[in-house]
Amino acid sequence: MKPENPILAGLALVAGLLFLSPVLYSIWMSFQTVDAYYAGELGFTLDNYARAVGQYNFARYLLNSLIVSGLVTLLGITFATMAAYAFARYSFRGGNFLFAATVATLMIPSHISLIPNYLTLAKVGLLDSYAGLILPAISNGFAAFFLRQYIRGIPKALDEAAYMDGATSLQVLWRIIVPLSRPAIASMALYIFITEWNNYIWPLVAVGKQDLYTLQIGLARLYRINPGEGLIDWPLVMAASTITILPVLLGFLLVERHLVRGITMGAVK
Amino acid sequence: MLRKLTPYLFVAPLMVFIALFTYIPIFASLNLSFREWNFLSPDMPFVGFRNYEQLLASRDLWNSLWVTTLFAVLSVPLRLGLALVIAAYLVRETVHVRLLRGALFLPSVTSTVSIAVVFSWVFSTDYGMVNAILGTFGLGKVQWLQNPHLALWVLIFVNTWKQIGYDIVIYIAGLQAIPRELYDAAAVDGGKRLHVFRRITMPLVMPTTYFLLVISVIEAFQVFTIVNVMTHGGPAGATDMLVNLLYEIGFVLFDIGRGSALAVLLFILLVGLAILKSRIIGRKVHYEA
Amino acid sequence: MSQKLQTTIAASMIALLASMGVAEAATTVKFWHSFNKSNGEALDKVIAGFEAANPDIDIEAEYVGNYNDIIAKLQAAIPARRAPDAVILEVTRYGLFANNNLLTDLTPYFDADPLKDDLYDYAREVGVIDGKNYVVPFNSSTPVLYFNKDIFARAGLSADTPLKTFDEITAAAKTISEKLGSEGVSGIAAPGQFARWGLVMANDSEMVDPKTGEILLDKPNTIEAYQWMASLVKDDKVSSPDGVTDEDNGRDAFLAKKVGIMMNSTGNYVGAKKALGDNLAVRPMPCNKACSVPIGGAGIGIMSTSEKDVQDAAYKFISYAASPEANATWFAGTGYLPINKKSAALPVAKEALATQPGIDVAIESLPVAHGRARTTVVTWMRTTEYKMWEAMALGQRNVEETMKDFAAQTRAEEKRVSN
Repeated sequence: MKPENPILAGLALVAGLLFLSPVLYSIWMSFQTVDAYYAGELGFTLDNYARAVGQYNFARYLLNSLIVSGLVTLLGITFATMAAYAFARYSFRGGNFLFAATVATLMIPSHISLIPNYLTLAKVGLLDSYAGLILPAISNGFAAFFLRQYIRGIPKALDEAAYMDGATSLQVLWRIIVPLSRPAIASMALYIFITEWNNYIWPLVAVGKQDLYTLQIGLARLYRINPGEGLIDWPLVMAASTITILPVLLGFLLVERHLVRGITMGAVK
Repeated sequence: MLRKLTPYLFVAPLMVFIALFTYIPIFASLNLSFREWNFLSPDMPFVGFRNYEQLLASRDLWNSLWVTTLFAVLSVPLRLGLALVIAAYLVRETVHVRLLRGALFLPSVTSTVSIAVVFSWVFSTDYGMVNAILGTFGLGKVQWLQNPHLALWVLIFVNTWKQIGYDIVIYIAGLQAIPRELYDAAAVDGGKRLHVFRRITMPLVMPTTYFLLVISVIEAFQVFTIVNVMTHGGPAGATDMLVNLLYEIGFVLFDIGRGSALAVLLFILLVGLAILKSRIIGRKVHYEA
Repeated sequence: MSQKLQTTIAASMIALLASMGVAEAATTVKFWHSFNKSNGEALDKVIAGFEAANPDIDIEAEYVGNYNDIIAKLQAAIPARRAPDAVILEVTRYGLFANNNLLTDLTPYFDADPLKDDLYDYAREVGVIDGKNYVVPFNSSTPVLYFNKDIFARAGLSADTPLKTFDEITAAAKTISEKLGSEGVSGIAAPGQFARWGLVMANDSEMVDPKTGEILLDKPNTIEAYQWMASLVKDDKVSSPDGVTDEDNGRDAFLAKKVGIMMNSTGNYVGAKKALGDNLAVRPMPCNKACSVPIGGAGIGIMSTSEKDVQDAAYKFISYAASPEANATWFAGTGYLPINKKSAALPVAKEALATQPGIDVAIESLPVAHGRARTTVVTWMRTTEYKMWEAMALGQRNVEETMKDFAAQTRAEEKRVSN
């Protein structure tokens, strides 16, 4: 790395803060009382968070988002890895066709399945359940495609040595392929998690019960019903918004490098 | 025997879910698009192409196509142009560059609903941040989201703000793949910075540009969240993008037949774009390897 | 010792059985409604009163959103079989559900209920389609004209300024906008859909003929009324476009003392009174060409998909909600019209009438209040009207051309839903 020019570093800092200022300001606003906000005064309160979590059920929404995104990631990455392994290591009848069908899902807009999926899940009584939120999001063609490319880069000799030692194909997957693909799997898991965390249109139509709202739905609705008598209670809305941003924000700070690497690996393929 | 079955067992879970929630719904949508249904009546009569005819004759569809195209045509070059310039600056690996990159990248992984809500405030008429800033310069209040001529620009701005970090990161990866020797050679020839940018950087990141171009156009045709939260397609249809129209027809008016017909049209349009993408990328990407 | 033990065991057995008995008898009624803020508090009181009187019935109330939200969510709930048992339905938009056999005909319940004779005719009538009673009114309303006396005074307008005709309202609104515009105060809130319908009626016309179901959106008087409403926003600029894209914005701005005049449901009375105090004044809606106001609000219907015993319990709740005690509490807590002839005589209602000036304006306009069409297509028409209104009020489309197009589309839609 080159030595730092303090002026440039300062400018970069200012530019970054300026760029993020709407979000930073919204976080700051979430600590103001509504009266102080409209009067243009300064204050500090945690009351907005207390109300968002208590009266407006955001603790529950946070839990729902964690459960849904967590399970979608776990199942999604498991299924994608298994399929990627088969596509990378086996040649089997119909394999090319199935792989093509997997890759083709990248081109298919998800919105075409909105109404049919609603009706399917309605028929089996799974709307208004975690399963209804999770099942349609599990299959991830991109992750399967991406991991397949990655696994193909792992020398086959490693598999063969393991088979010689009497390993089963499942053991090869678990002991050889998964450990060696860890960075790719981690980036894909992150990608799936973030996509699902921010998923909006499906939970919007699939969930009617408030107890099953995800953070996105809860926040959009809170904004829409305009809490507060008269003027909108922006500080409360911003507290809810901050709760919605925060987990991803914290996660981002921890794993930014993985994320960036994952995204660029996917793009420049 | 078991050995032969192994790969099928490995792909089965993924394939089952892809079939159930991606491929079968395409046929289900096609079927529904020839029917008349509102969720309430017990039967759904076959009506032939009537839903398509009504859709194609409706003002809303053409307005929506126009708005969506406008959004794509205005926002994509803006995003890519800005992203390339910024990426060219941020390609060097220093601490402050990393910080700035992080800041720019952050919105692209953050909740779209949160961003839409925050920017609803930023652009709100009486207490918004933008009008407050304009006010300090003695300028009057602008009705950003209530003015049909401005609302789409606001959405373009918000979408650009959110997505540009992603474009920048991709561009940086593309730029880092350009061999240094080329720049060194240009420096020896005494090339001016702008000249180098135009003659070396731009052509050599072309593959990246194509990639970003196509995915951001496809993305533009699927924008929904910011519209649903910030404008509901208004004012007066000025931001009524295609997926918003689909949602309104399907889940507000519950015209399931017409909604499905629109879904099918959207599908044809986007698959068409995607095929075009693979053609273009297949032909133009030489540099990458 | 052993006797004591026996007694204890016996007692606990009895307690256990008793609790099981209660658990079995308890019926839960899922109820979707549209009331939050001060109206939500008033509803909570009504529900608490009912549950105290009927300990074996549990009302599981959920605030779903406004009337539009309820319609949309209910329609989505049908194929998913997750509809509630009882639901608040706006009085022009339940036809869609009634005509698809999704609402229970309440006539047998109603005929056996002494409540029948206590309800005002105007209120009872709005729940009937083709002789069948599908909803029992809960929150009936008419639009009224509210204004802020303080804003009037600051703009140099007397509290007796005439506000009978469209021109008079424009004139007052212009004065306010001119005098107080620099303070961020605008003349009049853009009329919401209920007020728009009222203004069409005040111009001696209708959206849909309540008797024949004929679509009247392109009648000259309807167009003229829309031209006037749109002019408030686009030409005279006395209404903020904020209230066009979201009609609640107009009301919220009035409550925040940023707007001089607002035409809106009388159901906003108590909320407005809380916000404005003595500065709130209430007048009847204008009579531009005719004195006629729509009866709005909503009734409670019971879904035909619910179990019979749940329907019975739901009807008990409906009947209670329309009873003099509940209705008086509701009237005093919200400003919605009394629907029960006996409510006005109760102390809580009397006190409200005595201490809340203007709460009776809606009651006094009842002689000119009329029920509206509730055919299947009205739901579609009202959903689509928002888009049309935005286009006209924001100057995107010519009013006459838009209303003609809107009428044609509505006729086409009517043909579609009727075959």
